Amino acid sequence: MLTIYNDAERMERIMNRLREVYDPELGINIVDLGLVYEVRCLQEEVGVVMTLTTPGCPMHDMMVSGVESAVSELPDVANVHVQVVWEPQWIPEMMSAEAKAELGY
Amino acid sequence: MFRLPFTFIITGMISFVLFHFLTFADFAGWVHSEPRSPDGWFHIHLLVLGWATMMAMGAVYQLINVVLQTELHSKRLGYIHYGLFATGTLGLLAGFDQFNAKWIAAFATLAFAGILLFAWNIGATLLKAKLWNPITISTACAIAYLCLTALTGMLMGMDFKFNFLGIYHMRLLGAHIWLGTTGWFGLLITGFSYKLLPMFYLAHQYPVSMQKWILGFWNAAVWLGCYGFLSGIAMFNAAAFSVLIIALALYNIHIGQIARAKHKKTAGAGIEWTVWSARMLLALVIMGTAAVFYNAELASQTSLIVFMLWSYLYGWVAVTIMGYLSKIIPFLWWTYKYGPKAGKAKVPTMAQLLPEKPVYIGLSSIVLCMGGLLAGLGTNNSVMIMTAGMALSVAAVIYMIRIGYVFTR
Repeated sequence: MLTIYNDAERMERIMNRLREVYDPELGINIVDLGLVYEVRCLQEEVGVVMTLTTPGCPMHDMMVSGVESAVSELPDVANVHVQVVWEPQWIPEMMSAEAKAELGY
Repeated sequence: MFRLPFTFIITGMISFVLFHFLTFADFAGWVHSEPRSPDGWFHIHLLVLGWATMMAMGAVYQLINVVLQTELHSKRLGYIHYGLFATGTLGLLAGFDQFNAKWIAAFATLAFAGILLFAWNIGATLLKAKLWNPITISTACAIAYLCLTALTGMLMGMDFKFNFLGIYHMRLLGAHIWLGTTGWFGLLITGFSYKLLPMFYLAHQYPVSMQKWILGFWNAAVWLGCYGFLSGIAMFNAAAFSVLIIALALYNIHIGQIARAKHKKTAGAGIEWTVWSARMLLALVIMGTAAVFYNAELASQTSLIVFMLWSYLYGWVAVTIMGYLSKIIPFLWWTYKYGPKAGKAKVPTMAQLLPEKPVYIGLSSIVLCMGGLLAGLGTNNSVMIMTAGMALSVAAVIYMIRIGYVFTR
């Protein structure tokens, strides 16, 4: 994951908020699933580049609005821009060790 | 989108429970008797139109934007379709129950009009998306066969009133059943499974080349069987069953490829039973076809026809729909109730809306009872048919109520 921001504390707060967004089918948060590719911050604007486990995922809209809602909860964030990309394609190896263990992978 | 698929799915669930209530008290009666009777038509159409087709249409409306990544052509047309199809089905069932030729003709036409609107709506969505692959082509073919099923059904319905088909009525009946079972349900289930199974198995990097072969063989089986029934040349029906076996075998190999590429321990009991029902169907179709090749007279025997129809319609179509419902209903409800709260508050996972245990117990019981019913039908044992059939009704109703309980979470 590429993070273009050097305020580690603020980035951690954003990542913690993103860990509150779950794939409801798998029961695992999007950070541990490896769906978050990039987080960019510019003052009160936050941009999140992410993917989904499969193109045409039924959760597409819910995941996007979930990310917007979760990050918007932070007091120093005014706008959240979510971009869903399909390149690079998500592969199961992108999951964290915890997520793999949870799924029995 | 919630309301449109929900309307179809809840109507289908009610029809399913009604079918089993009506069947419970009279299992040995209509199941074991001649299916070509008003009583048989009533029960079969309650199951295939009131439940399975209603559910399938709801699933198409729910998943079409997922599959195509584009919006449905018209939601309003979807509601008009629902009104026409639900009223047509209800009137048709009443017509069968009372054996009222006028009602059958009128309401079969109404249901046909609803199906045409459905085909128009989905067809326009497919054309808008311009995304052609085995999933979308299977869906398009399935809907085309649904229209032909409805057309042949409507013609037979009108024949009850105006009596113009003569010997072609029975030939149309064969084509009607074949188009509906193998064409509509077969291609819709196989096509949607190419999308749904990898999602639920979290499967990646599995081969997809077999999908176009399955599509080709399956369509060939539909055409051969249809021509066989319409022409009355049995050789084409035999060829259709042989080609269907090839298509089913390839389908089973392909879903095995998907399952082997999984990245989670289990896809859930509903999906596992869906996969197993396809394997069992292949075995039963091979056995049925072999029996007819051995003794051609069996092809016209009611007992074998009833056995094969139950194997296909309940053993595979119904079990597959029930298996997928264990995922589709929690998804539908979650997106409606909890989707807007995602990221803001703690929301349950789908597994918390519908735990694995009741799905496993429910579907295992249904499959076990179904096995007993097929054994009873295969051995012509009325006591076994009655006992297993009643147990099947109880298990199926409890399962559907448990699935419906998700809407209270």
